[in-house]
Amino acid sequence: MRAAGRAEERRAYLLLALPAVILYLAVVAFPTVFSLGLSVTDYNGGPLFGEGRALNFRGLEHYVRMFQDRFFWISLKNNLAIIGISVFGQIPLGFIMAYVLYRKLVGWRDFFQTMIYLPTVISTIVVGILWQSFFSPYGPFTRLMQSIQPGWENTLFLNPKTAMLPVLFVMLWMYTGTYLIIFLASLQKIEPELIEAAKIDGANEWQVLGRVILPALSGVLVTTIILAISGSLKSFDLIFAMTAGNPARRTSVLSLYMYDTAFRGAPDFPLANAVSTFMVMLSLGLIGIVRLLEKRLGGDA
Amino acid sequence: MTRKGHLCWRVAVMAVALLATVLATGESLAQSDEPIVLTVLNYLDATSPGAEREIEEIWNAFERNNPDIQIVREDLFLEPFHQKTEAYAAAGRLPDVLYMWPGGRSSTLHTQRLVKDLTPFIEPIRDQFAEAALRPQAGGYLGELPIGLTATHVLYVNTQVLEELGLSIPETYEDLKAMVPTLRAAGKDVILMGAKDDWVIQSTLFSMIVGRLVGDEMMDEIIAGRAKFTDEPFVNALRFYASLFEDGVLSRRIFQTAYNEVDPLFAAGQAPFLIDGDWKVGNFLTDPTTGEALIPPEEQKHIVMTVFPAIPGERVHNTTSSVPAAGFGINAAIPAGSRKEEAAWRLVEWLTSEEVQRIRLETGSAFPSRKGVTSDRLEPLAQERATFYGRFSGTYVLDDVLDSQVYGPLNVGLQEIGLGLATPEEVAASVQRALEAWRASRR
Repeated sequence: MRAAGRAEERRAYLLLALPAVILYLAVVAFPTVFSLGLSVTDYNGGPLFGEGRALNFRGLEHYVRMFQDRFFWISLKNNLAIIGISVFGQIPLGFIMAYVLYRKLVGWRDFFQTMIYLPTVISTIVVGILWQSFFSPYGPFTRLMQSIQPGWENTLFLNPKTAMLPVLFVMLWMYTGTYLIIFLASLQKIEPELIEAAKIDGANEWQVLGRVILPALSGVLVTTIILAISGSLKSFDLIFAMTAGNPARRTSVLSLYMYDTAFRGAPDFPLANAVSTFMVMLSLGLIGIVRLLEKRLGGDA
Repeated sequence: MTRKGHLCWRVAVMAVALLATVLATGESLAQSDEPIVLTVLNYLDATSPGAEREIEEIWNAFERNNPDIQIVREDLFLEPFHQKTEAYAAAGRLPDVLYMWPGGRSSTLHTQRLVKDLTPFIEPIRDQFAEAALRPQAGGYLGELPIGLTATHVLYVNTQVLEELGLSIPETYEDLKAMVPTLRAAGKDVILMGAKDDWVIQSTLFSMIVGRLVGDEMMDEIIAGRAKFTDEPFVNALRFYASLFEDGVLSRRIFQTAYNEVDPLFAAGQAPFLIDGDWKVGNFLTDPTTGEALIPPEEQKHIVMTVFPAIPGERVHNTTSSVPAAGFGINAAIPAGSRKEEAAWRLVEWLTSEEVQRIRLETGSAFPSRKGVTSDRLEPLAQERATFYGRFSGTYVLDDVLDSQVYGPLNVGLQEIGLGLATPEEVAASVQRALEAWRASRR
């Protein structure tokens, strides 16, 4: 009787999960595997099967081409910088602001919450164009700097070492609000009695933060880091609108590099598929490292 | 079979034939009641003053006059247009009618024969077009019917700014270089360019330099493999380009200036010179919806359209770079002789008609590819543009004659030279490698 009930339960679960699994296989798993398959062929358009098919096995040739292309390394370096600003900029900043609001360390909580989250709801393309105008050599930023230091020349985008700085700044401004909301929602789930008890036991604000709140949020932290890594690797729209990867592709990222390879000028689909597969692998690798670290540090996720 | 049997057989055949005819007629009548839906990918700068007129007087007018055709139009501009075209081509979902160039960024459409050869369609009205506009294009046939002729290099001069500083239009590069200290002292830029996108420098400036210092004949030799990009003339063209930055004629800030950001700057007199294509004229004319212009008609007399001054060592003089022009093509997948093909051609014919070319001439968006199209409603700057074509001959536009696999590294290389990240010799070598790789891939 109990076994029959369990089988019934399993069937119900399977039935409930099936649509999502089919959808996942169709729109995520299949394209990923298909892209991996195409990356080791020379397919560049035309029929895939039958007579006149344009599909021949080429092994790792396109991966070798990708690793030999200097613009791939520039794009990868920029992606790592974005991951850096997301994990070590947006998340800590989002957490600090959420903590300040949650602990009522400032007034006007609703106002601050709205203002910090506001950039997230504006179209990314609009944000990109606005900030591009702001950082332009004829824009407000240049004028502002020139009023402080007459004769100042805006070469932010022209120096390969600083070209990504405006982009990283805008990313910090734009996405910190998302993490603020995630942390604020998680903080509100912590029992206030726990904090009160810690206070009664003589814990100061830092001890409350380190001993009560951060351990309770370790699972959320891992989730936000995973979100930050995957979001950083697919960043495209903001950079496309702000710089289009220029000047001289010095602000390109992997997704833009892949897009340029596939759709800008002569299409090179095999190389674009190799880039896309590399992005998936990199994303999985980085997320794996985060999970490993989380386990080592004894989190509860 | 008996005679009666024959009769029955004949009656039966006739009845079936009659039924089939009735059904077919009924079906075709039902079909002809349905409007033909044409998908169109159009190239339009929605911010330009002529955009409203283009939509109302060209596109909406066509739909009003052709109620049996319904247009589903997508308007895009600059990079998003080119990338969407490539995406459509790759997915095998090209629109029925699309804006395209005779080569360059539209090469895929021509070389893969994704658009119809328009030669048979144009035959009855061929003599109404300038012959240069009907030259075979990148695929060796007439893939698009040009709406106009295009000069990709124009030196726009604000003579008022020059006169205020006691300067005049330079005739040689040395004259131009000599103006730099005066202009800088006055807080002006020398030449404005919105070259954030990498095609701008190549298309609107470097193609002209190559035309003057290398020449079309040698470019043909390079493309054919009988000469190289690393040969002295082409490297010299790159060296001259590099010297523009060293001499202060061009500022590196052009690479962080968006394409249309320079329009108001030039109109406001930020610099006496602007380098861009002839199409830029449209952005300065009066917007009929607001009655306002970046450069009002009464001030347009101060703007002169000319070409870059004489370059030391140039082989040909006083040239611009030009292409037959962009226009409209028809998706090759539309069945020949179908109602859809007839509708598509009707649209293309309208888009290149005398009436539409007159509107485009007035809005400054294109110079006519048809003979004898004029207008008495031209603003001074549009009139200046109309005389430009008679004053200067054109050489190749590099992205029109080179494959994107080749001009891609050149475009990036030109930005790198400007930023001091690469030398002319390095860029020439990289473009030569790209050309050889492209040639090998074709083999």
